[in-house]
Amino acid sequence: MNLASVKGLARYRALILPTAILTLLVWGAAIVTRVNLATLVDGIPRGVALWRHMFPPAWDAFSELLAPALETVQIAFVGTVFGVLFALVVGFVAAANINSNRIGRETARGLLSAERALPDLITLLLFVAIVGLGPFPGVMAVALSSVGMLGKLFADAIEEVDPRPVEALGAIGATKAQIIRFAVLPQVLPSFIANSMFRFDINIRMSIFLGAVGAGGIGFHLVSAVRLLEYQAALSAIVVVLVLVLACEKLSDIVRTKIFGQAVLR
Amino acid sequence: MRTLRIPTQVHPPVYYERWYRRWFWVGVIFAVVFAWSLASLNINLRLFWEGIPHFLRLLSEMFPPNWAVFTRGRVLWSILEALSMAFLGTFIGAILSFPLALLGAKNITPSPVVRALAKGLMAAERAVPTLIIILLLVVVVGLGPFAGVIAISLGSIGMLGKLFAEAMEDVDPKPLESLTSTGATRLQVIRYAILPQVLPSLVANSLYRFDINLRAALFLGVVGGGGIGFELHMAMNLFRYRDALAITVMTLGVVWLAEAISDRLRRQIIGRELLQ
Repeated sequence: MNLASVKGLARYRALILPTAILTLLVWGAAIVTRVNLATLVDGIPRGVALWRHMFPPAWDAFSELLAPALETVQIAFVGTVFGVLFALVVGFVAAANINSNRIGRETARGLLSAERALPDLITLLLFVAIVGLGPFPGVMAVALSSVGMLGKLFADAIEEVDPRPVEALGAIGATKAQIIRFAVLPQVLPSFIANSMFRFDINIRMSIFLGAVGAGGIGFHLVSAVRLLEYQAALSAIVVVLVLVLACEKLSDIVRTKIFGQAVLR
Repeated sequence: MRTLRIPTQVHPPVYYERWYRRWFWVGVIFAVVFAWSLASLNINLRLFWEGIPHFLRLLSEMFPPNWAVFTRGRVLWSILEALSMAFLGTFIGAILSFPLALLGAKNITPSPVVRALAKGLMAAERAVPTLIIILLLVVVVGLGPFAGVIAISLGSIGMLGKLFAEAMEDVDPKPLESLTSTGATRLQVIRYAILPQVLPSLVANSLYRFDINLRAALFLGVVGGGGIGFELHMAMNLFRYRDALAITVMTLGVVWLAEAISDRLRRQIIGRELLQ
């Protein structure tokens, strides 16, 4: 074997171990999850049959789906607002240039990252166990899971403000509230609102999923239509869900670009 | 002597008046919509107050956690199932995303029509909530973790494809041009000019998606996708709160461990160049 080809092969030697591990993991995971290509092949005619059963959507179901769709949006909206309010408080407590108390800051940061580490399903199931089924546990789960992400983003944004206005106001004896209102808020408000809109997008999807677990709204109707084998009604619900998701994405796009083209509250 | 003109009207008052007027109505509409939503969802302070004793009672019913739940092999197995679903789903999703990303990247696919199609497909997938995918898949391939694997794979394509395509568009164009000028085929260009540059970011993004998918796998269990989410949901529904706490603690431990590993790998991979 000539030298060039040996060198060429040596290049790949570093890849042998990772490839072997990956292959093993994939193989093991396939066994655990009972991956079966035959099931997939058998599924194709079933998928075609499903589509035939679904199409056309049940047109009269749309009027019944409007109220649940609205409920889903409201759960996401109210949950986002609560989440933003909590996150504002925690965010200011966690920001080093606002809160000089190190222990308070670390506690706030710790709480935020603990919340982010908590899977949403666990939060939701706990709230359902506490207050029962319905929109309330959904709102609480949406709010809580927004706090972890928004609180961190808010705190980071506050720490990145231009320090000069903060110092200038501090030098002339402004209170902490005045500093926040006149030096910090004007700088961070656009990013606060943009991040909140982004979280609202996420929360709409979460709120749809929450319906399947018992929080009411369009997700519940979608799941029960499929369970009751009412596939035409299910397709109607799918159409409504897609319209909902796209409309909210569009709305948050418009808010983020059109309104925040100009700076707010300067 | 020239007189110094001192402006009698300073700007801030005028300025503030302007933005207050502009945002006042936005604020009012927002508040009205919020109040109306609270009212129609029947959410009020009483619910919070009533929740507190319920919460305390739940806590007392959850303790001590019933670790014996893990002696039923099914529970431990379903944790493994959720992990495997997330891992395999991410793996298949990443493999499916790669060709789509190639078709969507500007510097690889010259045809704007093909590019638009590929990007449109990925955007459409991102818009579809995973709930819809899993519900339809359960009908097609039946309940169980296999449906969860497919749902996670399909659900990852939109995001991974977009990130992969962006990584490919950001590569240094010089190796690409020099290979092309020596008459290399498109496959050779991809292998020797694109892949070495994007591989670290592909792996890092896939690991990031794995974190998301692990949480999604918990949810999938509730709607028929298999995994520990189903066991947790059942324990809660049957009021076996001590079992539920044990499952919750174990799930949290496994999720955090898996995320720590994926975080570690991600840090190691970014910045190191594989396959040079």
